[in-house]
Amino acid sequence: MSTHELAEVERLRRHLAQSRRLYEVRDDGQGGRHWQEVGPKDFTPLEPEGDPPPFSAKLFFFAERELLFRFDGGQFYSSLPEVRPQAIFGLHACDLQAIAYQDRFFAQDPHYQARRHATLLVGVECRESCSNGFCSLVESGPLVGDGLADLVLVRRDDARGWWLRVGSAAGAEAIRELRLPTNLDGCQATRESNAARVALAQLHDRELLDGVAALNAGQVSADTWETLGTHCFGCSGCTQVCPTCSCFAPLEQVGASGEVQHERVWDSCLYEGFQAEASGHNPSASPGQRVQRFWLHKFGEPFREQFGHYGCVGCGRCDRVCPGGIGVHGVIGEVGRP
Amino acid sequence: MIDLTPRKLHLLDSYEDGRDARHFSFRIDFPQAHDLATMPGQFFMLAVPGVGEAPFTYVSPPNLYGHFNALIRRMGNLTDALFALRPGDTLGYRGPFGKGWPLFFSPRRVLVVAGGCGLAPLAGLIDEASREHLSSRLSVVYGARRDEDQILARERLRWKLAIPFIETLDDAAAGQRRGTPLDHFDEVFATVQPDTLLCCGPESLMLGAARASVEHGIQPSRIWVSLERRMHCGVGLCGHCYIGASYACLDGPTYRYDRFLALTGATDSCAAPALQRC
Repeated sequence: MSTHELAEVERLRRHLAQSRRLYEVRDDGQGGRHWQEVGPKDFTPLEPEGDPPPFSAKLFFFAERELLFRFDGGQFYSSLPEVRPQAIFGLHACDLQAIAYQDRFFAQDPHYQARRHATLLVGVECRESCSNGFCSLVESGPLVGDGLADLVLVRRDDARGWWLRVGSAAGAEAIRELRLPTNLDGCQATRESNAARVALAQLHDRELLDGVAALNAGQVSADTWETLGTHCFGCSGCTQVCPTCSCFAPLEQVGASGEVQHERVWDSCLYEGFQAEASGHNPSASPGQRVQRFWLHKFGEPFREQFGHYGCVGCGRCDRVCPGGIGVHGVIGEVGRP
Repeated sequence: MIDLTPRKLHLLDSYEDGRDARHFSFRIDFPQAHDLATMPGQFFMLAVPGVGEAPFTYVSPPNLYGHFNALIRRMGNLTDALFALRPGDTLGYRGPFGKGWPLFFSPRRVLVVAGGCGLAPLAGLIDEASREHLSSRLSVVYGARRDEDQILARERLRWKLAIPFIETLDDAAAGQRRGTPLDHFDEVFATVQPDTLLCCGPESLMLGAARASVEHGIQPSRIWVSLERRMHCGVGLCGHCYIGASYACLDGPTYRYDRFLALTGATDSCAAPALQRC
């Protein structure tokens, strides 16, 4: 991995946007922040600090709704997406860890991989902890792990611009024409300082680890889960914003011409009917069972063994979105208390 | 990469085979080599165009010509649409998926317990045993509520000539065995002394059969059950068929009992709530 000096981060963005669609989180003017396309002539300063955007970048790869196949009355036709080269600019370490998690989960999914292979990931390392984040406790930040991004931005402490770390051959090729000078003096010290600062700010969240331990030891009673379940509105907010949630449901529609389109759409394990069978049997009929399932999927050791990381990357989005107060702090923070 | 697009499937024929159940014959368009590797107890995703896909098990696996059979009970929108189709109509097919039954007859003495439509996933295995002249190693106890709920009438006639085959009904007429399969376990264990159980049916039946078999001396590691779960993709992606940290479409639907208990965090003595909750 090489490290370069980068005086103006916007120059990098404009350069990357010349040959691909580039997306960055921007204010929408109505109090919201979303991933928006940014053109090669955009000079808006990058604002990398603060909370991660309400929606992670998973929608770029695992589409919220997409066509899988169609049937014309005689034959079935596959429908793989045609993706133009794209760059996701300004990804926090937690979201990059989540992409790595989904890369493994969807390793054999042609729809996901078609989008993923067409994408350049540009990360930015946080200098401060965000309001609900605990990335340092689940080893997903604030430093971007090796191989998780094609390019990684590190802001210099001395206000003299940035370091740009190259994480892949695709990243090196993407900046080749910029001819950036190589310089890693002070970069690692700054990164270590950032990591220590964020970890210190997140120290108070160590109670979450007690909750994870209790969860995996089976020490959380069914009654506790049912009590937590009474707070679940079944709104699917958590699963929508969670960067590692991946469940989907089929949606089949018949057009006016009679052609059948079979799509998949994001689904949620918190919905009452998620496991309901045609016979009426529902293995997860109670809200408590579904809440338990969601958190086992995020923090269960069997999943960590399978994917090399917890299904939770510590972004804190579920805390922000849950109307019932049973985001990660409301659940995992609670079940670890003696 | 996996392929989520169905292959073309022809509906050849069907006949009534139990209450609200039909026995279907299908033909896969352009069968492939892997179709022949289908194992009893595996399943396929059947696409009914305009309605969707659902998982069903094989009564007989695809042959060289792509022909196979399935017993399907009318249960919801998709099967309503399927039952309205006629021979020659086009459907979609993906499969085979999941883990089938273990095929390890000799020197084991295998007890097969089935309830209702749970006989269908075991049909291929019973046929296999009959063909391989392993009938002395295999016994079947088949339970249903009433005689009209019994399925695979033609196959049962054939099997009864080849292997020990007990039929029992909740609502039995004079001359018929009465009760659930469990009511006949003492007799079965006294006569055939099985050391292996394969079971498919309602979860309460499977749980009861597994526990009773353990009490009769069968090791939990010699017991297999077939779990029904909602499945949309069949390839471990949609998330619907979870059982603990496992997906039934990949690791099941056939689970070894001790592994199933470990997945649900239960022991065989307290598996009832686990089965209800899993």
